[in-house]
Amino acid sequence: MTQPLITLRNVTKRYGNHTILKNINLTLESGKFYTLLGPSGCGKTTILRAIAGFMSVSEGDVLFAGQRINEVPANKRNVNTVFQDYALFPHLTVAENVAFGLTLKKVAKAEIAERVAKALKLVQLAGYGDRAISELSGGQQQRIAIARAIVMAPKVLLLDEPLSALDAKLRRQMQYELRDLQQRLGITFLFVTHDQEEALAMSDEIFVMNQGEVLQSGSPVDIYDEPINHFVADFIGESNILPAKMIEDFQVAFGGHQFECADAGIPDNEPVEVVIRPEDLTLTTLDQAKLTVTIDTQLFRGDYYEIAATDTLGNDWLIHSVNPAEDGETIGITFRPQDLHVMRFGEKEAEFDARLETYEELEDDGVDET
Amino acid sequence: MKHKLANTYLILVFIILYAPIIFLIAYSFSQGETMTNYHGFTWRHYQTLFSDARMLAIVANTLLIALLSSLIATLIGTLGALSITRTTKRVTRESLLTLNNVLMVSPDVIIGASFLIFFTMLKIPLGFGTVLMSHIAFEIPIVVLMVLPRLREMSRSLLDAAQDLGATTRQLLTQVIIPFISPGIFAGFFMALTYSLDDFAVTFFVTGNGFSTLSVEIYSRARQGINLEINALSGVMFLFSLLLVAGYYWIQQASQKRRHRKREVTS
Repeated sequence: MTQPLITLRNVTKRYGNHTILKNINLTLESGKFYTLLGPSGCGKTTILRAIAGFMSVSEGDVLFAGQRINEVPANKRNVNTVFQDYALFPHLTVAENVAFGLTLKKVAKAEIAERVAKALKLVQLAGYGDRAISELSGGQQQRIAIARAIVMAPKVLLLDEPLSALDAKLRRQMQYELRDLQQRLGITFLFVTHDQEEALAMSDEIFVMNQGEVLQSGSPVDIYDEPINHFVADFIGESNILPAKMIEDFQVAFGGHQFECADAGIPDNEPVEVVIRPEDLTLTTLDQAKLTVTIDTQLFRGDYYEIAATDTLGNDWLIHSVNPAEDGETIGITFRPQDLHVMRFGEKEAEFDARLETYEELEDDGVDET
Repeated sequence: MKHKLANTYLILVFIILYAPIIFLIAYSFSQGETMTNYHGFTWRHYQTLFSDARMLAIVANTLLIALLSSLIATLIGTLGALSITRTTKRVTRESLLTLNNVLMVSPDVIIGASFLIFFTMLKIPLGFGTVLMSHIAFEIPIVVLMVLPRLREMSRSLLDAAQDLGATTRQLLTQVIIPFISPGIFAGFFMALTYSLDDFAVTFFVTGNGFSTLSVEIYSRARQGINLEINALSGVMFLFSLLLVAGYYWIQQASQKRRHRKREVTS
């Protein structure tokens, strides 16, 4: 493995009695797109500020390419930030804004002009150099903020909820552009957001945070398919979460029945929770049903129907179906064993990963059908 | 109809406000010695004014005091505003602001009298120095009040961004903060200048025997009876303040035009 670019080791941050970050450990490798995802106030921006150097940590180490940089001031770090409110200098033109960092570094004028022009072209605003900041739209200001940061050729670009002030359509477009930009430049992006869709769409790796802790990290698919706990399952995507009991390996009971599942390594008869994504549930006839539910309401969402239903034990179910159902109809639902995901209460990420390792090989040649 | 009424009212107000000034200036061209009747046009009062060496010296003193004191007050006031916004403790910040505002609203007579007591107690001879010091003192709060709002408008992330791009604390100040708050600094400077030029109460207390400013001199001459040289002086001063306003306006226009020109190049 290559040397990680940025490492946070046991980082804790306190303000008075208030702990903002609790023992954070994370590693960023070169050339990847990382996302810190969590609700507001979970400490994700604090991590960004610790890496950028706007804030010192109470405990632990911040490492850059193996060097401890806790005491290095922000203006000496080889990282640049794109701010949520863009923080463009209103008294300077677009080109002067982009050139700001290079001018401070006393780079030769011709080189500055060349690099600024290149950066503006990268964000598709070539020829806007002489405009005043106040003449630009929100989306354009956003691009200038990105250009101003990437023109410095940082090793890591930190992005603090940069898309949150844009409208939905522009946000989607910028997601593609950011991802594209990151891949073309090949530098590490650390993106902060509370929007799970954004995180899933763009990232190589996501860190899901809540209340100052990193709950789970992994690829978007891993996190979506195998959330570690109730919070992650609920925060990312929509889900049906039910109390259940582990009968034995690959057997779990909920809703009054016992089902085959793809999880193991949990003590028999332990109370657990089961997650089923709404799109993994399929409507079927009563004789093929794994569970029987009564349809309460349904909403047409364009490409699917969002159906709310209740089973015989009173549990609520959310089902995404291509075909509509009848309100009040009693209907069967079915799912595949691998669509079930079992979560233990209070399991930490390390234990979770270790447990997955123990049975995943087994699963690959046995139970898993896909 | 309603519109017309409003316009008439506005015109009337301006006539009432400007009438005394125009009346005064008109008589500066009168041949008589008093303001009872207009006796025909003459430049005579202006000639006396410009050959009155004592009066010219006083005008020079007044301008010198105004420029010097407002420059120093702008410097101190801007630094003060900077440090007030940097204060993280809410209580300290609020009390600093309150102390500043109390100086703003307290009557000039009180300030003048207290300065007189202060200077005599320290046995500082009254004159140019004491007038300069007291002018600086009452101008500082004005500058602080003009600069603070601009500083408050500046978001914290602007400073973070500059630091992020490699700015040292010094560059932060010269490249980001000062340019950003410069409209406030200019406004503060001009306000301080006008306050100094027309201050009477404070100056009256702290001028010594040999030293005088315009407002004090006009006051003492007016007590001896009306002299049309004063009218001529008022005319010159009025012209000067018009130039000052025009100058301020021009500076603002120029900076706007500069931005405008930049825009035209691209579009």
